[in-house]
Amino acid sequence: MNVWLWGATALLLGVLPCGWVAVRASRVDALVGLQTAGTVVTLALVLLAEGFHRSSYMGVAVTLAFLSFVGTLLIARFLGGHL
Amino acid sequence: MSAHDVVLGVLVGAAVAGELLCCIGLVVMRDVYDRLHYAMAASAVPPFLVAAAVLVEEDWTQPGINALLIAVALFFVCPVLAHATARVARTRRR
Repeated sequence: MNVWLWGATALLLGVLPCGWVAVRASRVDALVGLQTAGTVVTLALVLLAEGFHRSSYMGVAVTLAFLSFVGTLLIARFLGGHL
Repeated sequence: MSAHDVVLGVLVGAAVAGELLCCIGLVVMRDVYDRLHYAMAASAVPPFLVAAAVLVEEDWTQPGINALLIAVALFFVCPVLAHATARVARTRRR
């Protein structure tokens, strides 16, 4: 274990509060939880890519950063009336 | 332990601590607007600390530039999401 993998492990614990908000709070709050979880997991993937010394894994983090933006924006824009 | 390792540890530690604080803030706050505030803080500072750590480790190579690209993307993209989410919340409140 190096500092990157320890950081990624600690960072992934941050998904739990986001999940708690998504399950327990209102649906708009759940959207905020989803947004934050996307950021947390993106950074965890960056740390994992560095920790495993696989620069190609960084592409997954870049893709997730943009896809989580598109997904959350689609929910907010087109399903906003149902939230 | 070299100075390089200490800098890496400080940058990664600060990024993780900042991100976890924002996640805790998400749970502690009661209003969607307050929660949005913490969500935006999570995408503003910690990604740049992670990018700085990767740049210290890798220099200006592909992983370093990718990490910086992610930080810049999150910095500029998340306010758009915050605006869209706040708009939905305001519509619901009416």
